[in-house]
Amino acid sequence: MAVIDLAFAIKHLPDVLKGVPATLAITIIAMICGLFSGLLISFIRIFKLPVLNQGAVLFISFIRGTPLIVQLYMFYYGLPVLFDYLNGRFGLQFNADNIHPLYIAFIAYTINTSAYQAEIMRGAIQSVDRGQMEAALSIGMTVPQALRRIIMPQAFRTALPDLGNTFIHLIKATSLAFAVKVMEILAISRTIANDGYRFLEMYLVAALLYWLLSWIFEIVFTKLEQKVSRYEKAQQSPVKRFYSVRQLKT
Amino acid sequence: MLLFDYSDKFIYTFVIVEKGGDHRLIELKNIRKSFDGKEILKGIDLKVDKGDVLVIVGPSGSGKTTLLRCINFLEKPDAGTVSNDGFTVDSKKASRKDILTLRRKTAMVFQHYNLFKNKTVLENVMEGLVIAKKIKKGEARKISLELLKKVGLEEKTDAYPAQLSGGQQQRVGIARALALNPSVILFDEPTSALDPEMVGEVLAIIKEIAQEGITMIIVTHEIDFARDVASSVVFMDGGTVIEKGTPDEVFNHPQHERTKKFLRRLIHEPEYTI
Ligand SMILES: Nc1ncnc2c1ncn2[C@@H]1O[C@H](COP(=O)(O)OP(=O)(O)O)[C@@H](O)[C@H]1O
Ligand SMILES: [Mg+2]
Repeated sequence: MAVIDLAFAIKHLPDVLKGVPATLAITIIAMICGLFSGLLISFIRIFKLPVLNQGAVLFISFIRGTPLIVQLYMFYYGLPVLFDYLNGRFGLQFNADNIHPLYIAFIAYTINTSAYQAEIMRGAIQSVDRGQMEAALSIGMTVPQALRRIIMPQAFRTALPDLGNTFIHLIKATSLAFAVKVMEILAISRTIANDGYRFLEMYLVAALLYWLLSWIFEIVFTKLEQKVSRYEKAQQSPVKRFYSVRQLKT
Repeated sequence: MLLFDYSDKFIYTFVIVEKGGDHRLIELKNIRKSFDGKEILKGIDLKVDKGDVLVIVGPSGSGKTTLLRCINFLEKPDAGTVSNDGFTVDSKKASRKDILTLRRKTAMVFQHYNLFKNKTVLENVMEGLVIAKKIKKGEARKISLELLKKVGLEEKTDAYPAQLSGGQQQRVGIARALALNPSVILFDEPTSALDPEMVGEVLAIIKEIAQEGITMIIVTHEIDFARDVASSVVFMDGGTVIEKGTPDEVFNHPQHERTKKFLRRLIHEPEYTI
């Protein structure tokens, strides 16, 4: 028997590939929903809405200060308790067992990533030059118009590299979704490994798949960045350069 | 053709100036503003007639920028009223709608240009027309192209601000303000961030539009330019108007010691020439 049984790995690759849709679904849905709720939280913080702002600070601190896997377990074991309570209190008929694990993962990952994305967007919005908002108001725009047309496009441009990192991070973080019983790439690999006593092979297959996915999306985000950063490419004139050099010397 | 309708308004303004009426356009009464408990504007009264060019001079920190920003409520005064073109807002009772109405009668040219970084030169000028004034895109485009030609940037319509020199950016800023056809344009030190060789081109354009009879309030340290274009000059210091008069009165025969001291210091600095 070879040290590494490549045939075993290749034979089970199609089975592991069946986990890719779950991995991608969690990543993409959490990313998009997390961006929306993250934006909402970032606005709460930027406009310092009373009470909500303190809640947002607490929420972000908690999410960032606890391991994702602990949050997932809390969700998994907390949801039935919550449902029991709601059923008892309002006479409802919810049953936590009927919820597909994938949905639990969607919610848990969305909540988790929204805290991170809120901070990314808050930083990006606040990094937009104050003068941009003032100019927008000075030409008669309302605050929502200025946000939509001037501030947010620039903020997204600034946030894009960090959002890209968050996305890649999410892809890898889905490997913890076994905690809520989702059969994604790693969970399937592990099951097959257990059955065939071929652990290294299956973890290699899983690693390769995560790497491939990350790589593809890194390219996607790089292309996206190039596309939206067109307005930043300044052609510095020789005169300007001459001046900045001169200013340095004096 | 709406483009011509639009230019007609400039002519209309001009006619009123020619009549030389004391047609009051802007009136500030008892404008007060404090930051962190420190009073920056200590009850400013100011009147500007239609077609006039009011130049505000004064040492740095005297509240000139704050005063300009109170006129379009980028800064909300703590007290006082602002009237513009027949519309009066009491700062203590100003609603969001009042502020928007008042603001849409003004345009501002900033010290650091503040062009929209994510928009092309043409889009920068069109933005206020399309979004705030709800003018159709085709028409807004025509008006904007005309104005960009006027400021000598018809070649740069598709460039982004980061690709322009300071002087070019400020000329776009002026076109953006002109496009709104406001009752007054507020200039906050429009040339003080520019490399010296670009100051002249920007001042020349401001002078040109001043001669078209557009009402302007200009904060500047360019005394020669102020002498040239101003109908009246205000000297501010410590949040109050110290002295007001014609350019000749304020610059050549200042009455107050503080004005004299300020001018002595300025005259020693190198001056521009157009
Ligand atoms: N947003 C603000 N917050 C706190 N202080 C301010 C603010 N804006 C202006 N000031 C203060 O008000 C004073 C006058 O500022 P400004 O109106 O910019 O003067 P000027 O334009 O004549 O140089 C300065 O001391 C400045 O620090
Ligand atoms: Mg100033």
